[in-house]
Amino acid sequence: MDKILRINMGSEGGPQASEEPLGDYAGLGGRAMTSAIVAKEVPPLCHPLGKNNKLVIAPGMLSGSNTAQSGRASVGCKSPLTGGIKEANAGGQGSQVMARLGYAAVVLEGKPKDDTLYKVVINKDGVAITPDNSLKMLGNYDLIDKINAEYGDKVACISIGQAGEMKMAAATVAFTDMEQRPTRHAGRGGVGAVMGAKGVKVIVLDDADMPTRSPKDPEKFKEANKAFVAGLKKHPITGEGLPGFGTNVLTNVINEAGALPTHNFQTGRFEGAGKISGEAQSEIMTSRGGKVSKGCHKGCVIRCSGIYNDKDGNFLTKRPEYETVWAHGGNCGIDDMDAIAMLDRMDDDYGLDTIEMGATIGVVMEAGLAKFGDAEAAINLLKEVGQGTPLGRILGSGAAVTGKVFGVERVPVVKGQALPAYDPRPVQGIGVTYATTPMGADHTAGYAVTANVLGVGGNVDPLKPEGQIELSRNLQIATAAIDATGFCLFIAFAILDQADTFQAMLDLISAFSGQELTADGVTALGKKILTDERDFNARAGFTKEHDRLPEFFQNEPLPPHNATFTVKDEDLDQVFNW
Amino acid sequence: MELPITFCPRALIRKLDDVFKNTCNKVYVMNAELENDPKAVLSLTVEEELIPTFYVLLSQGFTVKVRVGCTMRELLQRQLGLSADYIEQRLQTIFLDGKAVDNIDTAVVRNGSTLALSAAMPGLAGATLRRGGAYASMRSQISHGKSKLSDHIKEGELVLKLFNLVARELGPMFLAKGVWLKGKSLQGFLQKAPDSFRGGCRAAELNGQPLDIDSLDKLEWDQQEIFVTVKKTL
Ligand code: SF4
Repeated sequence: MDKILRINMGSEGGPQASEEPLGDYAGLGGRAMTSAIVAKEVPPLCHPLGKNNKLVIAPGMLSGSNTAQSGRASVGCKSPLTGGIKEANAGGQGSQVMARLGYAAVVLEGKPKDDTLYKVVINKDGVAITPDNSLKMLGNYDLIDKINAEYGDKVACISIGQAGEMKMAAATVAFTDMEQRPTRHAGRGGVGAVMGAKGVKVIVLDDADMPTRSPKDPEKFKEANKAFVAGLKKHPITGEGLPGFGTNVLTNVINEAGALPTHNFQTGRFEGAGKISGEAQSEIMTSRGGKVSKGCHKGCVIRCSGIYNDKDGNFLTKRPEYETVWAHGGNCGIDDMDAIAMLDRMDDDYGLDTIEMGATIGVVMEAGLAKFGDAEAAINLLKEVGQGTPLGRILGSGAAVTGKVFGVERVPVVKGQALPAYDPRPVQGIGVTYATTPMGADHTAGYAVTANVLGVGGNVDPLKPEGQIELSRNLQIATAAIDATGFCLFIAFAILDQADTFQAMLDLISAFSGQELTADGVTALGKKILTDERDFNARAGFTKEHDRLPEFFQNEPLPPHNATFTVKDEDLDQVFNW
Repeated sequence: MELPITFCPRALIRKLDDVFKNTCNKVYVMNAELENDPKAVLSLTVEEELIPTFYVLLSQGFTVKVRVGCTMRELLQRQLGLSADYIEQRLQTIFLDGKAVDNIDTAVVRNGSTLALSAAMPGLAGATLRRGGAYASMRSQISHGKSKLSDHIKEGELVLKLFNLVARELGPMFLAKGVWLKGKSLQGFLQKAPDSFRGGCRAAELNGQPLDIDSLDKLEWDQQEIFVTVKKTL
């Protein structure tokens, strides 16, 4: 990973690829790389779909090696949804393969002269950019079938569906999984629309004959990897909970806490939660010959994904994740697991963010376009998006735009991006992160790496109100750093509880890079990323007034606990005061 | 009996079996006779593979007859017979009436309470809801505060919900002893059961009389509470 591939889609005479050394970006990976490039090279006031925006795809620092759990890629740009900086990340095979091809980043720049659609093929011999209008308006599944027929089933693909081509603000960038299915998505913020604006339908990555990236200190690396894997396997969340039930293990628990946003955030409990829980989902998957546990890329040992078959035992989609089940389920009052799985499949095929689409459908249900609980209506609404009808174009622009168009007051967004699956009234600390992250409401922005393990931000007294601010700050710092490594964020639980696993992770990175990494180093990396991102947003016109939750969270008590969001604005303003 | 200090889930399941065998005389729960007039007692004998199918029902809640007015530790350890290690290490997420419990020595179980038991959960929300975790302050509005002990401990009932790994580990024992279920949930469950369900169901009895397995999904139980036992074939 010692070079950057730049593809200028707007060059005279057609798209041009060039390689360059890492320069100022040496040592960066994942979110650290995408945010550094965007912050430095993209004019903050540019139009997100214009020639000056850039789409940066960067494997994590350890991707392409034998490090367990290190196959996440980051996709960054100025977001068409939020207008601020965006990093969305995804699993799948793309990160590993891109890293083995030697690229620390692939950057799509400029704007094509016309609406020709391009295919980019990267292999050991170089880069080919060819026009291919036969791919126009294909869904991700048909597209990948076509690519596999031409390039075989060992390649990894990064692609957009119809939503990306139509430059919808809820469009994703899809990454193929180990079975060549486009099931893993850099979902948030409309990154797919930027890829569509660059005129690139698919990037085909072929790492045949390329070696696995090797560590600087192989012995230490082997030992650390062994300890790291053992730590993941022995922990009840990473070793048992996630492989057994997927992330949807959360549905029952969040519902019991009264924090499952239901009927467009009107209540915190959903009567049908038990029917769409991870437990119920696993039973359905097992009874239909699906797979309860599998990885989304080679080297995943947690394996939170799975195969969800339809009633006839045929593949329908991967195991729908908690956020998807919430967005299309409880948030829309739908308790039919098959309907939710179908919506997940359609989102993956059109290339749409499941969180944004579930929130958007919830908003139009509140507006009266369909009844809460009407699964068929939800499927039809999503079809409108895929077909690009006028209504579909509105919905595909996300919850904020849709709420405006239909005159809905209760629109759950921050910086234009829909809130994920945890209501911030009963669990206020999460609301602090939703409000303040530079990404717009994002549940992964402040994840579970304990402040005490990392030793960042001094000693937090969690019982004091200001503790929430410090916790959110520390979590955001730690998350940003992990996003740079390429590790799946789910390693966080084992690290949270097991100091030896955290040390094993540091040892892994040190042994791989040859440079000693300490907890302080992790903190510095996280702060640097957040500083870049906030600086970009400030130059794009964001102020502290954008770091707020919508008013209804303060005004509307959420049943059953009737909690409101009570964290003060001046406290929110202290989150990045380090 | 105490479980080993080292926490090994598989060993734990075996040990729990022993716990239940050895402590069932202490275990107050799920005794059909405690109810004056049980409307219906349904006994099922099923293939072992079918047992997990019932966990969804257990996650939606079942009624247990216990002594109430005591602390949660008293309930879990003395009445339900769970070991201190299991409680400490596995029951990382506990809700009493929808509020996250941090201290099982101060939370008091009252008549009619709903108690949900879960393993540790992923995500920031999962970490936040964990018992006494570093992020407990992030959900102070829904934390279960210290409650006053009752003057006397008396017979009562509570709704118990078992989630995820806890359902897997404790479910078979609860099902074997029997659980009180709402007729509506049971009816919905039997009507929606996959085809494989009937194949794995070996015998059924209603109020002590043999029952045709094919008629299970046609029984009208909408308004009743049913005492259900589920045992695996030997
Ligand atoms: S734990 Fe889940 S999301 Fe993470 S790499 Fe594995 S399958 Fe992918």
